Amino acid sequence: MSKMGIDWSEFSLPTILPELVVTPTHSQIFMFSAATWNRHHIHYSRDAAIAEGLEDIVVQRALIGNFFVRLLTNWLGDTGEVKNISWRVLSSAVPNRKLRCQGVVTGHDPALSRDDLACEMTIINDAGETVATARATVCIQDLS
Amino acid sequence: MNAALPEAVQRAIGVTRKRRFEVTARDIHRFAQAIGETNPIHRDQDRARNSRYGGIVAPPLFCQALTYEDVPPEQLLADGSPREISVPVPAVRTVGGGSEYTIHRLVRAGEVIEIKSTLKDVYTKQGRSGLLYIIVVETVFTDADEQPVATELATYIKRA
Repeated sequence: MSKMGIDWSEFSLPTILPELVVTPTHSQIFMFSAATWNRHHIHYSRDAAIAEGLEDIVVQRALIGNFFVRLLTNWLGDTGEVKNISWRVLSSAVPNRKLRCQGVVTGHDPALSRDDLACEMTIINDAGETVATARATVCIQDLS
Repeated sequence: MNAALPEAVQRAIGVTRKRRFEVTARDIHRFAQAIGETNPIHRDQDRARNSRYGGIVAPPLFCQALTYEDVPPEQLLADGSPREISVPVPAVRTVGGGSEYTIHRLVRAGEVIEIKSTLKDVYTKQGRSGLLYIIVVETVFTDADEQPVATELATYIKRA
């Protein structure tokens, strides 16, 4: 697999997505708040986050969603697009902790069109705790 | 509808706010940087022109950058949380819960996107630490031709 897309000659279901490992930093969390104009203090003030019972500033729900999407687009490359994604944050992710984004292409959903594939994903932190889970549908342009 | 909710909250459910933003190539580039995405189709005009998109496009969840209103800080709650989730429930600590996001197509630089945010629901749930208030906000993003670009149903959790 590469950024250019999927080698369909090797494709079968279920397919494990190549793992994406990210380590969000204070800087990245700040940049995402700035890019989305999210001024909630738990994303930039460690004192405020701790006062609310959190370990540190926390990774935004929305940024978690982008980690899942990157897991998908890294695999899809130029051969497909993400049509929809739903995710749930189960525990807070904090800076400088490695997150392993993993997933599997589960197959064709009868409710979906021929070129749509269903995927299930998880983000696990370096303590082995599940940070978030997700389901997505991707559309493959040249599935044959 | 949850009868235990303050009347002001019940009145707020269903209220929609609209606004428009023009998307620039710089907005797209900054969003891509913030999520750690390095694909040149989000920043390099020449590479993007030769891609199947024919120009710079935004990452799939880019409309998140347009979700929150640019209200002055004094109009936010003390914790700075977005006005979209400023509902008068007896709880002050907020965290993100989840999202259902549909991407109809990728946003392009130069487009004007209309945003409609609606407080869809507020309900309570018993959590381990006490009563939780679940806030559900729907945001619909449409283009100049009133065609859908993206839709998000986001869930936030407030606790005392």
